[in-house]
Amino acid sequence: MRGNAITRRRRGELVVGAVLLVLLIALPLPIRDVYTQNLIITTILFAGLAQAWNILGGYCGQISLGHALYFGIGGYVSTLMFVNAGIPPSLGMFAGGLVGGLIALLVGWPCFRLSGHYYAIATVVVGEIGYLLFLNWEFVGAAMGVYVPFKGESFIDLQFRTTKLPFHYVVLGFAALTWIAAWLIEGSRWGYTWRAVKDDPVAARSLAVQVFPSKMAAAAVSGFFTGMGGAIYAQYVGYIDPDSVLSGQLSILIALPAVLGGVGTLWGPLLGAAVLIPVSELTRSYLGGGGRGIDLMIYGGLIVVVALARPAGLISLLGVRSQAGGADIPAKDADARAA
Amino acid sequence: MTPEIIAQVLISGLLMGLIYALVAAGLSLIFGLMDVVNFAHGELLMLAMYATFVIFAATGLDPVLQLPIVALLLFGAGVAIYRGLIGRALGVQFNRGTVQIFVTFGLAIFIRGAAQFIWGGDFRSVSGAWLSNRSAEFAGVFIPLPQLAASAVCLLAFAGLLLVSRTEFGKALEATREDRDAVALIGIDRNHVFALGWGLGAGAVGIAGAMLITFYYVSPSVGANFAVIAYVTVALGGFGSMLGALVAGVIIGEVEAITALVLEPSLKQIGMFAVYLAVLMFRPRGLFGRL
Amino acid sequence: MKHIAAAVAALLIAFGITPARAQNAAPKEVLVGAIYPLTGNAAQIGADARMAIDVITEVINGQHAPMPLAMGGGGGLANLGGAKLRVVFADHQNDPQKARAEAERLITQDKVVALIGSYTSATAVTISQVAERYEIPYLSMDNSSPSLHRRGLKWFFRTSPHDEMFTQAMFDFFAETGKKTGRPVRSVALFYEDSIFGTDSSNVQKKLAEAAGIKVAADIKYRANSPSLSAEAQRLRAANADVLMPSGYTSDAILILRSMQEIGYKPRAIMAQAAGYQEQAFLTASGPLAEGIFSRSSFALDAEKSRPAIGTINAMFRAKAGKDLNDNTSRQIVGVQTLADAINRAGSTKPEDIRRALTATDIPGDQTIMPWKGVKFDEMGQNQNATPVIQQVVNGMYRTVYPADVAVMEPTWNVGR
Repeated sequence: MRGNAITRRRRGELVVGAVLLVLLIALPLPIRDVYTQNLIITTILFAGLAQAWNILGGYCGQISLGHALYFGIGGYVSTLMFVNAGIPPSLGMFAGGLVGGLIALLVGWPCFRLSGHYYAIATVVVGEIGYLLFLNWEFVGAAMGVYVPFKGESFIDLQFRTTKLPFHYVVLGFAALTWIAAWLIEGSRWGYTWRAVKDDPVAARSLAVQVFPSKMAAAAVSGFFTGMGGAIYAQYVGYIDPDSVLSGQLSILIALPAVLGGVGTLWGPLLGAAVLIPVSELTRSYLGGGGRGIDLMIYGGLIVVVALARPAGLISLLGVRSQAGGADIPAKDADARAA
Repeated sequence: MTPEIIAQVLISGLLMGLIYALVAAGLSLIFGLMDVVNFAHGELLMLAMYATFVIFAATGLDPVLQLPIVALLLFGAGVAIYRGLIGRALGVQFNRGTVQIFVTFGLAIFIRGAAQFIWGGDFRSVSGAWLSNRSAEFAGVFIPLPQLAASAVCLLAFAGLLLVSRTEFGKALEATREDRDAVALIGIDRNHVFALGWGLGAGAVGIAGAMLITFYYVSPSVGANFAVIAYVTVALGGFGSMLGALVAGVIIGEVEAITALVLEPSLKQIGMFAVYLAVLMFRPRGLFGRL
Repeated sequence: MKHIAAAVAALLIAFGITPARAQNAAPKEVLVGAIYPLTGNAAQIGADARMAIDVITEVINGQHAPMPLAMGGGGGLANLGGAKLRVVFADHQNDPQKARAEAERLITQDKVVALIGSYTSATAVTISQVAERYEIPYLSMDNSSPSLHRRGLKWFFRTSPHDEMFTQAMFDFFAETGKKTGRPVRSVALFYEDSIFGTDSSNVQKKLAEAAGIKVAADIKYRANSPSLSAEAQRLRAANADVLMPSGYTSDAILILRSMQEIGYKPRAIMAQAAGYQEQAFLTASGPLAEGIFSRSSFALDAEKSRPAIGTINAMFRAKAGKDLNDNTSRQIVGVQTLADAINRAGSTKPEDIRRALTATDIPGDQTIMPWKGVKFDEMGQNQNATPVIQQVVNGMYRTVYPADVAVMEPTWNVGR
């Protein structure tokens, strides 16, 4: 009975996803304005990145504040392969994703032993170390970064002079992949394990042995997609340097749409990105020119208000509840009860 | 490398480390009490530095004499932040962990924007204060007076925090930390204790900021220069442990100074981060954190 | 998405905040897009640049007695029927992605005829890419990284000198002063931040030091915006070079000077790669510690004798900003002037016409406020007549000491004493 309900709900989600995909495929066709196109592409890219973060931070409950590391590494790997060896970024982005996933495993191995805020801070620090290493590493251009030469319009090289439409479909494909991954994970055994752990801290202790491999798997998937996103970003912008692809600020920006939209939900990261990215871009474009910090005040204020008023995310406005119980840091309460 | 150079660098590291410790103490106190990491901590430090700067510019009152004023101002700010935001964040039903992180993060962005709005983006500093640009020399080793005074004040503040923990209020803090729900039974208002805890934590940052401005500059984004170090210090010492913050601050300060001396200075933060990660591998809750 | 965008825009308007965007390019206006850091660490630089640009557009557009400047006659762009030059500002927050997006927005929405900016090197890279793809001139006003103009760009122009020209001037000054006083520079200590600016600058310095037979006694790359530079100061003291050559921004400039003083070290000479060391905030914060510091500059406030417009322009800037023009703000003035001159000569707002007019630019130095030979672009878009000066801090102000034709005093030279 219950199983049927779940199957029906999951099938419904697929249908909604397909409809949304079709809408997003059609969306840019009537739009001629480059700025709006750019806004949509950035939004979809961040929706995908936030979904990638959500797999580890939401469903699995490991609040990573260092995802820029995987993003940046993905960007560097595909860009350097393109610049130094001529390997097209349409292949390079998968390589970037693989290296991103690998690094996520390397980071996860020691860090998953830490709990709650210790884990969060450790990811901040690992991200900072990556940033500093790239900033001083001559082979990857150090502070100079890497400039992607324009070799002419090409789908294989993901390079287009001024038209944005192809990139729209590249990021859309990327975001769709992350969404499908999240959908599959929700229905998988990992998904059930994580939910059980969330609902019952005592179970968390007894399941700890089995939870570790699943956390590693979540890290690998999350790192893979984040790295892939980084590779696409690098090709889209045409220039990367440590400040723009490895900064701690970026780690937060990757997590924010998921958090404000609804942690551990299929739709939260999408909704979060759809609200957050336009607000931040538009406030900067139309208020930032004043240079008085008003854009920052609006942006920061919005984060505070949404987080407080809608702790389960904006998605709760639509009556959708977190499937994985969200990413609560159980730390004290959980420990107290478990002890 | 002469012995003077080594002594000089060790002293610089120690003095800076004590300041890191005091900045971290406030963060640690708040965390220990209610499991909240304040991601706007660097911005509180920035506010304290601006407050000292503004009062000095307006009245000429020396930063050292302003200590109680700035500490009180920040105490008020801390209580206000708790009453306005954190109390609510603790009351939410879902995702308390993430909500708490991102509420303080949003607050940080807001404060930075507000500082830019009020004071503009320029770098400002206090010059002509009693301590400004003065040093004492002992056998070829120089001790900058602003840092020396700041370190002394830091130690005093730590002693103060320890004294507070001996009072009735301190016991209420401890009891609330141990068991949030049970304290209600013995007539302690949890919200009240938490608000005072935030006040104390912010007050400690206020003291650190007032001393820092005697030898450092302030701008709307200055908080970021100290924030990551503060989080590392707290996690290294163990969330909630005052002694941990003190020891970890000194370790971080020394590691930073020594790496800058013997390695490439642009990599000096990697030194402290590596030490932090290494310690965490063996003690996942920091040096003095309760396991 | 468009609805959300529209809704947010409507919200902003409802709060009485009107978008800065042009409704419709009025036929009597020529729009130029300016992209600067208006929030974040370099926000003040952007704010100052903006005020300087406001000053020069007032001069170009306003009705006033003719000034001894190219485009100083007022009344707008004469060859375009007196059309007014209007500069639209955008904030790149020192993020290359945002700089790119803002450049595209200015080009496609505001229909600007040219772009200017952008202070930081990383943003100049992406803005120049956009300019190249959209075929719109980009005039770099204040980016000094030499690599920028060497990428074979067709639409990139730079009025200001770059770090190689600046650094060459420093070493020429060392050679000349060494010969004159008999106390040459034998060693230098390089102290630079871990950014594009810092590493670019130090690479040139290393090369030129080697060529001049000067020993590099210390080569220290430091972490920008560190909480402490004490150990770094200690290393500089240990190296004890004849000249300390720092490249960094205001925050670290303030901190390293204090840190050196705290450990009782005063370098015999400091020769700064401008940036933070030319900022008023640095001079105010450092007070007596800054006395005697040398810095390269593209601007000489005290060159009024040969550049008569300085007085008026500086007074106008002072009225807005409460401080004097400096190395960075003056470059905005000459940059906008150069662009306006080109648009006017083109007599057209077509990008290709403007680009061609820019390549034909030839403004003599005394028609600007800069102590340069003038403005004349080479085939890579670099102004080859931008000749930097060396200045020294005396009583809290930078005074020009080199080259001889614009110098107002002899340098105080402590090397070898």
